[in-house]
Amino acid sequence: MTEIISNKLNPNVLPHLDIWTWDVALYLFLGGLSGGLLILTSGKLLLQSGGLLHPKAPPRDPGLSLQVAALLAPVLLGLGMLFLFLDLELKLHVWRFYTNFNPTSPMSWGSWMLLGFFPLSGLQALIVCRSWFSSVPLLQRLADQAMPYRNALAVANVHLGAGIGVYTGILLSTFYARPLWSSSVLGFVFLFSGLSSAAAVLTLLSSEEERLGHAQLMAYAMAMEGFALTMYLVGGLTSTGSSRSAMWELVAGGHAPWFWLLDVVGGLLVPLLLITLIALRKVTYAPLVPILTLLGSLSLRFLIVGAGQAISTIS
Amino acid sequence: MSRPRKYAMVIDTRRCVACSACVYACKAENEVPEGYCRDWVVQLVEGSFPDLTLTNRSERCQHCESAPCVANCPTGASYHPGDGTVQIDRDLCTGCKACLAACPYDARYIHPEGYADKCSFCQHRLKEGLQPACVTVCPTQALTLVDLNANDGAFERLTAGREVQRDKVHLGTDPKLFWLT
Repeated sequence: MTEIISNKLNPNVLPHLDIWTWDVALYLFLGGLSGGLLILTSGKLLLQSGGLLHPKAPPRDPGLSLQVAALLAPVLLGLGMLFLFLDLELKLHVWRFYTNFNPTSPMSWGSWMLLGFFPLSGLQALIVCRSWFSSVPLLQRLADQAMPYRNALAVANVHLGAGIGVYTGILLSTFYARPLWSSSVLGFVFLFSGLSSAAAVLTLLSSEEERLGHAQLMAYAMAMEGFALTMYLVGGLTSTGSSRSAMWELVAGGHAPWFWLLDVVGGLLVPLLLITLIALRKVTYAPLVPILTLLGSLSLRFLIVGAGQAISTIS
Repeated sequence: MSRPRKYAMVIDTRRCVACSACVYACKAENEVPEGYCRDWVVQLVEGSFPDLTLTNRSERCQHCESAPCVANCPTGASYHPGDGTVQIDRDLCTGCKACLAACPYDARYIHPEGYADKCSFCQHRLKEGLQPACVTVCPTQALTLVDLNANDGAFERLTAGREVQRDKVHLGTDPKLFWLT
């Protein structure tokens, strides 16, 4: 028998860590979604214009879904950063992120990476949505000047999008004090989850001709997400005692109903099944499919952020 | 040239009577707000009746040599000043809470004024040549601050013939609280 009596106080640390809530979960979701949108829009732009080595003239009309998605990438990340800003206890000190670079801190890497994300993704959005800004000569001129570099910009943006997508998971995984987060696979889980939610947004924005293609893209991303999630679970369940008990808590403890119903069944398996049936023309498309994927992706961030703190500190 | 200091704390659990004087001295010295604490006392009862053992442990920040809070701080607010301790520069702190998530000992908290806070080994007192408030007030002299680089044999004298425990050494943080059992 072991009995521990302590006079330790400290709210938000006891009885378990409770420092990051809905705002951080939303930031991670929007960060992953923005990263995914940047990867997919840049990839599509590269395919449309012949790639880096064999550039050809850009199509006159990139398509409404691609235009909106390209614009959404920086806008949604900006919204995510607003939530992150709201989480800071000393909001007036936010500029301190840019007076230092700590190579061992993922948050420091992320802060500096975000500085590159906005101009590069914004410039790409400007090129893609050039026709929307015809009444603003300055933006037209900027788009014209950037046009010759559009393919190189798209290549850079694919990498930047992947970096942001992985970063949202790595941010948590370096906290080895929290056994549920302490897995590098979490970076890939969040990256593929970000890609699937970005494909879901593209599907929602698609015209009828584009829709099936985007839905299939969503299915591929979800399949990869399922694979990464399985690796994450297996890694935890076969690791040290702390990681094992944290993972058991996720798959069979108090958080299990949430995990299985909202994330695995509702967010992955049902949308995958529905996309398969749509492709086989057994059922007709309904916006419910991408919405379920988005909800699953959002719920996953809430679950990992919440459960990672609720489960005991590493022993 | 003298070697830099490397402060550590030796805590004799046989001397500790869990009176919590260290907790109250710290609260008074460092103006720790109500409902918070920089140090605390743990009473650990082990065994089966009637073969029970009781261990009293005064606990606080471990001032890790390889501190995850320092590694994860994006702004450099958590830092090693070079005397073996881990300190917080309140002016650099954004209250992002990464250090709280990183600490495997849950030794930190967010001060009501917004910055991360924890035991500093009373750095302001050390600079004046004084001992930390908890060490000074301990009625049984269970707490001793030592300089591991002093080469004065103090640490060896305290630990001679005793079992020395450190918390979660396997994590590689190299903590600097030494409990004598």
